[in-house]
This record gives sequence, structure tokens and C-alpha cells, in this order.
Amino acid sequence: MKAALFDYTRPADLQQGLQLLAEGAGDTKPMGGSQSLGPMLNLRLARPRAVVDVSRLPGMREVTVEAGALRIGGSVTHAEIEDGVFPELRGTLLQTVAAGIAYRAVRNRGTVAGSLAHADPAADWVLAMTALAARLEIVSASGKRLLPMERFMLGAYTTALEAGELIAAVHIPRLGADARWGYTKFCRKPGEFAEASCCAVFDADSGFARIVIGALDGAPRALPGLAAAFAASGALPSRDEVQAAIAAAAPGKDAVDRKLIAATLRRCLEEVLGHEKESA
Amino acid sequence: MNAVVIEVNRRSLRKDVPARMHLGDFVREEGRQTGTHLGCEHGVCGACTVLVEGRPVRSCITFTSACDRQSVTTVEGYDGDPVMALLRPAFSRHHALQCGFCTPGMLATSRDIVLRLPDADEARVRLELAGNLCRCTGYMGIVNAILDVLEQCRGEGVPAVSALRAALPRPDGGPAPQRKPFRTFTATDSGTLAAAAEAPREEAAAPVSGTRGGTNIQGSFTVPYPPGTVWAFMTDLPAVAGCLPGAELSEHAEDRVKGRIAIKFGPMSASFAGAARLERDDARRSAVLKGAGQDSISKSRANGDVSYRMVALDDGGTRVEVDLLYSLQGPLAQFSRSGLVKDFVARMIQDFGRNVALRLDPERAADAPLPSAHINAFGLAMSVIWSRIKRLFGRDG
Ligand SMILES: Cc1cc2nc3c(=O)[nH]c(=O)nc-3n(C[C@H](O)[C@H](O)[C@H](O)COP(=O)(O)OP(=O)(O)OC[C@H]3O[C@@H](n4cnc5c(N)ncnc54)[C@H](O)[C@@H]3O)c2cc1C
Ligand code: FES
Ligand code: FES
Repeated sequence: MKAALFDYTRPADLQQGLQLLAEGAGDTKPMGGSQSLGPMLNLRLARPRAVVDVSRLPGMREVTVEAGALRIGGSVTHAEIEDGVFPELRGTLLQTVAAGIAYRAVRNRGTVAGSLAHADPAADWVLAMTALAARLEIVSASGKRLLPMERFMLGAYTTALEAGELIAAVHIPRLGADARWGYTKFCRKPGEFAEASCCAVFDADSGFARIVIGALDGAPRALPGLAAAFAASGALPSRDEVQAAIAAAAPGKDAVDRKLIAATLRRCLEEVLGHEKESA
Repeated sequence: MNAVVIEVNRRSLRKDVPARMHLGDFVREEGRQTGTHLGCEHGVCGACTVLVEGRPVRSCITFTSACDRQSVTTVEGYDGDPVMALLRPAFSRHHALQCGFCTPGMLATSRDIVLRLPDADEARVRLELAGNLCRCTGYMGIVNAILDVLEQCRGEGVPAVSALRAALPRPDGGPAPQRKPFRTFTATDSGTLAAAAEAPREEAAAPVSGTRGGTNIQGSFTVPYPPGTVWAFMTDLPAVAGCLPGAELSEHAEDRVKGRIAIKFGPMSASFAGAARLERDDARRSAVLKGAGQDSISKSRANGDVSYRMVALDDGGTRVEVDLLYSLQGPLAQFSRSGLVKDFVARMIQDFGRNVALRLDPERAADAPLPSAHINAFGLAMSVIWSRIKRLFGRDG
């Protein structure tokens, strides 16, 4: 099927883009790589009157270090992070995550901000950015705000973004040199959205310890008790501890789902400890 | 229309294109390069994969206007490409093509694998091919053809290919940083449960199960009024519609209604027009609303039975237990994994319950506008709908 009619504009700079979005009164959508918006336009599930292409806006295509945090421009693509185009991101959790999103042809166009704004509960960036305590730099014609990931996603496909707002960048606190992390997802087929996913980040230098599970019905959920205990002991939690933490964080899931999440979580923590990954 | 200049297979095309034209249609219809095949048109089959600025992209979910001043290479444009010069005979040798529908996309992807992953083994090749569907070959031949070409290009085997590889962006080598062993510590930040506190109320949705060809979602809400009062309200279809975010009635005769309901699920929107019939059991204070509708634009269809019953609570209030059995067909169903619909329905039930409580509140003016839905996306103003319903049926709130 073909998309319904819409207008397309590629603004010259951020200011012009924000102006167009402000004038669009909620009926104008930003467009990154169109890798999620495209299917929805083609299926006529999304019918904006106009789209503003932000994929080539200069300020949104770079990675810089600001006040001890990494600032990743919203229009940076998954493939650019995967390829190590930005030296600051090489060898990081972000590079690993990027390489596992969808397929290469999708990664070549899909952007970090587009993925976050789309807010699919199973999306990789949504989970990783929550585990990394990222903050979103959200801009509009009337100003700028920084919003922590925990307050960004309100539900499946639903975010705190208001009409006219754009994710200009993602700010990620830098981790210490001996930080450890794990990222595991369970998919029916490579490149498909995850059925269960887990991201864990442990940084002894700053006392930062997070275990976050994704692919739930809404936003990812942190398991703070489990994370604190794991940081203190470095020991894999027992089956019962894992089940209890999952039941508390994701009460709506049935037994089969909880088992899948538990297995994914366990593998993720094994990765944190540096155990060899089981071959598929 | 947008004016674009796009180089297709080294030929510059200057055209006015509608914004909704995707790149796959552009190369086929404007560029007359019909080798590119369109299968699914939503990014999952890989048949339409072409190169944009030398990199594989899905031409069905890439819009032509977004490729202005860029170069596109389709299966017709690989003459002189050193990788294709090896892949084409290898595909023939290894019987890697049968009907050929997937082949243009397979070749674009294979070229990318050969260039980007010189050391790929069979498992890696298969992983990289996961986004390209082939209905005929069973992949064996395709995988072997790619492994064959990778072998030919080992080391400096094919200088022209090495030169292309050298031009790719890649990390400046060096060993991956040695990861230090895990060190225990006392956590000062282990995440918050803030998300959990705001997340859908537990009682709102019970596990989903697939029954009778549909999906079942259960939920409930409580209101501080006696069951009799709530029951009277809940069997008054215009009143019920007035509390349902996005609903609008066009016809009403006894227990039958026609109308539409606009739903917004994040970026997705649909407006289902349909009819529903209420089967009520006054003795048990339970009812089933059976409805069906279709979204005229995406052509998605929905069927659903909403069963509800009143349960008297000790404090004099009522719990309304809702059981939704639904099935969804068409485009919307592709994005609606059951867990996501469950989350959506849970929010909807909560908004509905809150509206019912407000409408039953004797202290409140009957036409006072209802607050906007929790699901921030419901664009329709409830007050407008409510007054329209009242006008339609000449009712006094
Ligand atoms: C076949 C297939 C498989 C996939 N598998 C996965 C997977 O395994 N894991 C995964 O995480 N993702 C997956 N994806 C999604 C992919 O990662 C997309 O790249 C991503 O979700 C959307 O990014 P985009 O830049 O293309 O955004 P778009 O499609 O352009 O936009 C998506 C949404 O974000 C909004 N938006 C875009 N940019 C901005 C901005 N800067 N600020 C505010 N709002 C913005 C748009 O208005 C739209 O609502 C898959 C996609 C496909 C087609
Ligand atoms: S037609 Fe583009 S991926 Fe299927
Ligand atoms: S050769 Fe027929 S689909 Fe692949």
C-alpha cells in the first residue's frame, strides 16, 4: 500500500525545523530515517499532514563531550555508531547495541532520536538509554529541556513529547574505566523486535548499578533491589530472587513471559561477569 | 510535489515527485529501472534493498524526497563494480537464484557483507541475510555464493575489492579495550521504580490469553456509587459512549448503536466506524456489548465483545469488571502485539472508569467537560462530543 498524501520539507537548520513543527500545530511530524514512520505511513496507520525531515540537520549529526557527558545528536544513525564513526563511542555498550538493531539496511537510515520517539517497548535504544540513565535534550520553538529517560516513555508508543518538540540529542553520563555491562535480548528471528530483553550497567567508580528489563507492555523497568545486591556481591541472584524482582517490576506478565525474561536477565548478568556467551 | 535531483545508476534524474513516493517506486517508475522488486512495502522482506550513497537501504520505507542530491544504485547499475563481478557468477555457480524475486535485494546485501565483513563465517553470513527473505532457494546456495566470494577476496586476493573496503568508515583498529574484572561495590544509584509507580494499575489488565480466535483482556475500575446506579448508567449506550474517549454515536435505537471511535495509539491513528448491540441481563447486572467496525483508511477491521458486570463493594461502591474479547485484522494488527494492546486497553478502562465516576457525581454539572484522556493522544475534546450526543438524543445529561 502507498502512503496517504503529506507534505515534505527538509529545513536548512534547526531553527527553521522547529518553526515548521510549531506552525504544524501537532499535525506535522518530524522524520528521521523513516524506518518506523515509513511502514506506518505506507500502511496508512500514521497520517500526518506534513513531515519535517530532520535527518540531515547539522547540529543533530554529531557526537561531542559536554560537561562529562556524551552528547549524541538525535539524527546519528545506528550504523554510524556500529561502525565506530565516532571515536567516543567505540568499544562502548552503545556500539554493541547499535550493531544488533534490525538489519543493516535499516540501521543505515534509522536514527537514535527516531527510535526513542517511536517508543516501541521492544526497541533497543529505549532499553539501553534507560539503563544508562540518559537524559534527552528536547527542543521546541519556545525553548529547551532535559528529560531523564525514566520520565520520557509513558506507555507503548506514547512519550512525554509535546507537539512541536524534537529530540535534538541524548546525553549519557560517562562511565568509569572499569565499568561492566551486559546486553541480551531474545528474538524469534535475528533482527526482529525482542520478546524479552535486559540491559545491565555496573560502574564501581560512581556507584552506578542498573538492571533494566525491556520488551514489556510499556516502558522498560529497573530492578533496583537486584541491581544493588548484585553490585555488592558480584554473585548471580537465585532463581527465586530473580522471579520475585520480575514479578514486582512486570506484574502483568504471565509465567511463560516471566521465564523468558528471567533467562534473558541471567544471561545478561553472566555477560557482566564476563562469562563466555553460550553459543546460540 | 518536491523537486529532486537523484542520480540513478549514474544517470542524473531531475523530477517533481509527490512526498509520499517512496524510493522503490521512484526507481521503477521515474527511473525505469524495474529490476528492484517490492514485496512487503514495510521494511521486513528486503526485496527492495538498493544502495543509496553506496550503502544498502530499504527503498520501500525511504522516501524519494529524502534522497535528493544522493546517488542510488539498483541491480541494473552494477556494471564495473568489482564485488558484483564476483557475486554474479558465484550466484549462478551455486544455484543461488531460482525465481529471482529476492535476487536484487540479495545482491545488494551480499555486496555489503563482502565489503564490510571480510572475515564473516557461515553463521555471520546467515545472520546478515536474516533481513532478506527468499522463498525458493533455502538460502544454501546464496550463503555458499557469498562465502565463495569472501574466500576469493581474502587478503589482497582482489585488489579492487580491497580498495573499496579501505574506503569504508571503520574504527581505527587497535585491540578492543581490555575489560577489567567485575569489582563489587555499594550502589548509590540503582535505578528507581518511578516507572513502575506510574505504570498501568495492576488490577487493570490480567494476562492475555488467546481464546476462541480472539484475544482476551480483563480489567476493572471502581466507582463510589451503588451497583444499581452504576448499572443504570452502564446500560445507557449514549451515556457510555460519552465516557469512552474518542467515541461518537450517529444512530441509537434501544440497545443498538452505530457510530465511530477514533483511537490514537502513539503515532498510529484509526477511526473505526461500526455498529454495536447490547445484550443485557438485568437480574445479574451484567451485559455484553457486541460490536464490529472498520477503519476506512487503513482498512483494519476489529470485532469485539465487551462484557461487564457490577460487583457490590463493602464500602457501598461498585467494581465494574470488564472482559474484552477482540480480534483485529489488517494493517493495525501488524503493530499491535497483544501486550501493547493490553497496555492500551488498560489505560482506556481507567480513563473510562474515571469518566463514569465524574458523570455520576451529583455535585457536578452534567455538562461539565471531562478531563482529557490519560492517553494523551486522544485528540477529541470530550465536552464537544458530550454536547453533540445530548443534542442528538435531546437528553438532559
Ligand atoms: C524491519 C524492521 C525491523 C526493526 N527491528 C528493530 C529492532 O530489532 N530493534 C529496534 O530498536 N528497532 C527496530 N526497528 C526500528 C528501527 O530501529 C528504526 O530505525 C527506528 O525505530 C526509527 O528511527 P527513524 O530514525 O527511522 O525514525 P522515523 O521512522 O523517521 O520516526 C519514528 C518516529 O519518531 C519521530 N521522530 C523522528 N525523529 C525525531 C526527533 N528527532 N525528535 C522527535 N521525534 C522524532 C517521528 O515523528 C516518528 O513518530 C526495525 C525497523 C524495521 C523496518
Ligand atoms: S518491499 Fe521493502 S522490505 Fe519488503
Ligand atoms: S529466488 Fe525466489 S524468492 Fe529467492
